[in-house]
Amino acid sequence: MIQFSQVTVNYGYVPGALKDINLQLRDGDFTLLIGPTGSGKSTLLRLIYMDILPSSGTVTVDKWSSYRISPRQINVLRRNIGVVFQDFKLIENMSVFDNVALPLVIEGYRRKYIIRLVRLLLDEVNMLQSERQQASTLSLGEKQRVAIARAMAKNPFVIIADEPTGNLDREASRNVLSLLERIHQNGTSVIMATHDYELIKDTPYRRIYMENGQILPPDRTFSPLNQRINLLADLQ
Amino acid sequence: MKFFFILRQTFNNLWRERTPVVATVLTICIALTILIALFEVSWALYGQLSDLKSNLVIEVYLDPALSEKQAAAIQKQLEQYHTIERIRFISKETAADIFREEFGENIRDILDENPLPISFEIRLLPEYNHPGYMSLFKKQVESISGVDEVHYRHAVIEKLEQITEAIMVSGIFVLIILVFAMNLLIRNTIKLSVYAKRRQIEIMKILGAGNMLIRMPFILEGAFEGLIGGILSATGLIIMHKFIASSFTLVTYSLHTYKLIWVYTLSLGILIGLLTSAGSVGKFVNKIFSKK
Repeated sequence: MIQFSQVTVNYGYVPGALKDINLQLRDGDFTLLIGPTGSGKSTLLRLIYMDILPSSGTVTVDKWSSYRISPRQINVLRRNIGVVFQDFKLIENMSVFDNVALPLVIEGYRRKYIIRLVRLLLDEVNMLQSERQQASTLSLGEKQRVAIARAMAKNPFVIIADEPTGNLDREASRNVLSLLERIHQNGTSVIMATHDYELIKDTPYRRIYMENGQILPPDRTFSPLNQRINLLADLQ
Repeated sequence: MKFFFILRQTFNNLWRERTPVVATVLTICIALTILIALFEVSWALYGQLSDLKSNLVIEVYLDPALSEKQAAAIQKQLEQYHTIERIRFISKETAADIFREEFGENIRDILDENPLPISFEIRLLPEYNHPGYMSLFKKQVESISGVDEVHYRHAVIEKLEQITEAIMVSGIFVLIILVFAMNLLIRNTIKLSVYAKRRQIEIMKILGAGNMLIRMPFILEGAFEGLIGGILSATGLIIMHKFIASSFTLVTYSLHTYKLIWVYTLSLGILIGLLTSAGSVGKFVNKIFSKK
């Protein structure tokens, strides 16, 4: 379970990247974080893998609390979480295989096990044929599938996807969403931030709407300006 | 797998930053060569100096008019000095024998008499074999009535000591500059490597990699630079030794000397590279990520 209790985040002198967030994300859920750019979705996700710590309040992820966590424990926490980014964060001069193997190397698994598992994961995301290819030579959609395979490598209890379809065309976006849905069906929690309303409009998952660093109450919609921005985004 | 990953990253870093790596390796090589050569020259000079000092005798010549009985009284006076290790009495006859041995002629045949005075050969205790005490001792002995002259080869010793000191001081000065340059260059290549790999480091941090796994390739990079610098330095030194040995027949070097050169240069090179990179990599990694 992931819990945010009265969490506020200020970036340096800029206050209110997140304001007094109270939120509970249950194990096994597929949660969609929806909101325009700058609404605080990425900040909320960064708090989960403790890339940043709250200015006030507490974030609890499984057995780890932001209130009292050492750098070493943050490393352990990150090894139990899968993260997928809009810009993929692959190591471009490494092969597809090596990129997916990286979390397993970090954990210190044996070579034989790594080879078996990485091939299985690449097969799962339909990238096995490209295992020797350098990451830099892949298409954007392929890069994201490799990034998802890497996120799954450690069998994490949660996968955090920060705008995973932000750089992809419609078909590649649908592929990525269906991949995340498959992972979720196998019991892993998924938290996906997006502002692609078209992509998620027919999905049955829990939606959390964010605006200006706050979670909107279920009965409130976006401000008129953001509604117009969303409309434009949908028309694209 | 972790080990091979670290090793691959290390060589990757070295290849990527090959120009600064070459500069660093050459600086390490030059610094180590100077260090070892300086050590060897100082060691040889020190050996020469010790040999000279241990064989050094102070010659005390008595007034030629003194009889052997009067000379024995002066010897008694000299024996009071606790700084003396040994006194050898040289009678007029013994002095003539020494003259014959050294010059191949009998002094009586040349001058019809033996004008050589009675003398003493004095050897001081090793701890008093330095110019400061010797000149004091000379003054004291010269003031004894019946003593004509006191001699020792102070000029050679003083010169040798001056040369050793000058070599040491200038060598240390050059060495300090080289160590500073070496430190700067190693830190610079590590900084470039860390900067070039900042994205990879960021990704590894997100994936939960510990500090050791992130830093180890950079630390090994420094050690590897030290190792290569050490190998080049040892090779250069051995070539120099062989050249000296072939040019000067009196100088010989054994296999043992070569082994020592390998051991010193390699261990020093690795140690310098390892310590410098280990001391700087954490700082550079933290600096890059604190800017985010």
